[in-house]
Amino acid sequence: MRLPKLRLHWKTVLLFLTVAGPGIITSNVDNDAGGIATYSMAGAHFGYKLLWSLIPIMLALIIVQEMSARMGVVTGKGLSDLIRERFGVKITVYLLFAVVLTNFGNVIAEFAGVASSLEIFRVSKYLSVPAAAVIVWLLVVKGTYRSVEKIFLYACLFYITYIVAGFLAKPDWGTIGRNFISPDVAFTSESIGMIIGLVGTTIAPWMQFYLQAAIVEKNIAVKNYRLARMDVIIGSFGVTLIAAFIVLTCAATLFKAGFRIETAADAAQALRPLAGKYTSALFAFGLLNASLFAASILPLSTSFVVCEAMGWENGVDKKFSEAPQFYGLYSMLIFLGAGIVLIPNIPLFPVMYLSQVLNGITLPLILVFMLKLTNDKKLMGEYVNKKGYNIVAGVTIIILVALTVVYLGLLLGL
Amino acid sequence: MFNRGFEMRAEENIIVAKAENSGHFLFISEILNRPILSASGDSLGKLHDLKVRLDEPFPRIVSLAMKKRREKKLLELDWGLVESLDTNRIGLAAEAENSFRTLETAPDEILLRDELLDKQVVDTLGAKIERVNDIHLLIVNKDLRIVHVDFGMRGILRRLGWLRVSDKIMNWLFSYRSEEKIISWKYVQPLLSDPVKKNLKLNVTARRLHALHPSDLADILEELDQVNRSSIFRALDLQTAAQTLEEVEDPKLQISLIESAPDERASDILEEMAPDEATDLLSEFPSEQMDRLVRTMEKPSRDTVVALLKFKEGTAGSIMTKDFFAVTADTTIGQAIEEFRATTFPLESVAYIYITSPDGRLRGVSTLRHLITAPKDARLGTLMNERLVTIDPQDDVEDVAEIFKKYKFLAVPVVNSERMIEGLITLKDIMESQFEE
Repeated sequence: MRLPKLRLHWKTVLLFLTVAGPGIITSNVDNDAGGIATYSMAGAHFGYKLLWSLIPIMLALIIVQEMSARMGVVTGKGLSDLIRERFGVKITVYLLFAVVLTNFGNVIAEFAGVASSLEIFRVSKYLSVPAAAVIVWLLVVKGTYRSVEKIFLYACLFYITYIVAGFLAKPDWGTIGRNFISPDVAFTSESIGMIIGLVGTTIAPWMQFYLQAAIVEKNIAVKNYRLARMDVIIGSFGVTLIAAFIVLTCAATLFKAGFRIETAADAAQALRPLAGKYTSALFAFGLLNASLFAASILPLSTSFVVCEAMGWENGVDKKFSEAPQFYGLYSMLIFLGAGIVLIPNIPLFPVMYLSQVLNGITLPLILVFMLKLTNDKKLMGEYVNKKGYNIVAGVTIIILVALTVVYLGLLLGL
Repeated sequence: MFNRGFEMRAEENIIVAKAENSGHFLFISEILNRPILSASGDSLGKLHDLKVRLDEPFPRIVSLAMKKRREKKLLELDWGLVESLDTNRIGLAAEAENSFRTLETAPDEILLRDELLDKQVVDTLGAKIERVNDIHLLIVNKDLRIVHVDFGMRGILRRLGWLRVSDKIMNWLFSYRSEEKIISWKYVQPLLSDPVKKNLKLNVTARRLHALHPSDLADILEELDQVNRSSIFRALDLQTAAQTLEEVEDPKLQISLIESAPDERASDILEEMAPDEATDLLSEFPSEQMDRLVRTMEKPSRDTVVALLKFKEGTAGSIMTKDFFAVTADTTIGQAIEEFRATTFPLESVAYIYITSPDGRLRGVSTLRHLITAPKDARLGTLMNERLVTIDPQDDVEDVAEIFKKYKFLAVPVVNSERMIEGLITLKDIMESQFEE
């Protein structure tokens, strides 16, 4: 009687394929312009020194994303929706201000990514950024985004180039290993800021809202929850692996050569061992794809989050007159975000990096709410947090707050 | 939109007129968290919540919930012991202090802050889901009642404490005052979050949902989360549930709704649905589950569904309905009218009357008009039109659509190779099949 068992197995695989998606898509969007910039700078400016931090970051990422996914499956509601129902309108409005502001920073970073990637091809940002803003806006409003999403996803295969380039650059595996066993952290504002940035870009606050919404939209039954969890774990592992190879590749090439990243063309040099004279073009393509991908999701997700909590009509299937707040906020995020990148001489790469530091500073705030909600028995029933989750999430919050305090202290010269 | 505005205003005027005699309005946000004072003026705690019993059109507040400093547990006090109420304090009667008890809610009672404020409700007038920003209360002779619910921006601003400032700014800049968006309690269907008590409570209040058109109900279900969706669906009566299920466009959602009901209710709903719609839905299920559902259905509908399930998707047989009206050629108009009265088929299925030979073969067609206008003793055989357009059950749906385009019929009969009527395809069936693509 082996046959039925095998059949069951295949059924599980099929079921997984229908449930999978939100976790893996979210992870790929996670490697956005800000992500590429932050990981590249971490490798180029600190060598292998910060590589170890990606291990605890991955653990926290899995725990946090799992909480979002679980809330989505069990309650069938979005994160901002739950926050509004549980904590009332006052707390929700002030929290949303922080979320919109942080996400706005990320939108700016995506358009900075567009600008800097196309600058490699000598396209002026005054041309590329307005064009990208209009394209992204139309893509979503005209409802063609779904069909383009697949192209974005396939283009994410670009990240594999970092894995290949990482091996070709012949990194010093011995040093890497030693750094993992005995990590040393220099307490300078630069390195602490970079750690906050690494956490903030990997566990971005907006991802938690986006992932939960995507899970809700998929209508996954509670009994299939463990498959959704698999999806999240695979996604989290994938994103960290790629992050690690970006850091590693940049460390083995740029850091070794004593190179500092100021522009996209600098960051592109990390791929030279692989791509030779096509290096710049390859990197520009990857960065452009990542920027456009996230730029189409992020403003949309932000508008959803706000409208859902406030009880305003939302959705791209609605007319402008039916959902004015939704379209208003969506358009404002895109065009204002693109507008800021057009300020003459704005340093594009630092902008991308700083938006991720802002993510890291806002994250603990979101985590506090997520922890409260996932421990609410009335809401989650038997799916409340297990103790281990609370410990990992709690420690993440404490460390992030501590790092932020030290970082701000060092910046202000206290 | 305009109609609704007028209706609301007219209704408010009535309540306002009443209120001017004896009472006044206030918003729940204006009294929540205000101090509760004993008769001697000591502060006992803060007003945390109000409890209503849902037994009247505009429910009365039956008790309040008080929160003491640094204590988690809420204390309940009958509303009758409240002596005075304004936006600064709640004053209690002398005997109140010994009457506090632990807070409890019965199935027909709800806590306004805990279960209504900031939650989603169905606005049955606008047929939409809205979020409650504030609750409008009316005091008449010491009784406090819910009269309106606030869905608007002003409600949010009031809760945030920004209303006065924003009004001043808007007035100074544009001489404009943002509009109230409040709606009478009688159009509000709470959704309630506590899963244990919810079903009971929904049954108490779900009557309002039946005022909605099934297609609006379907839209609302599509927009709701899984938990609320299935509990609302459970609260609907069989007929409404069946009609709503027909209107739901996403087959996945239809399946999850049917699955959320116990098997017996699921099959009752399927029996209540038009057989072609029920068949479409059943064919979406995995075969084991489909068989089980079909087996639990009762005789006449089950046979129809089983017969319909035999036809492949995309054929005329798969979209046809079994609701048709046929009589033999020697039936008189009078007899036919009697038979017609006994049918419960939807109108589009009885626009034409099919006339058969005694052995059941289709011979001709007559119309509803003849039943009404022809003399009672005339036989249908003499009134019928023998030139017929028919469809074979195996015909492609696309070809059937062409027939409807060409002849503009309201319905076309489906006959098998022996010219026996198998069913009927109505204009509605063919429209649905075309719009699905």
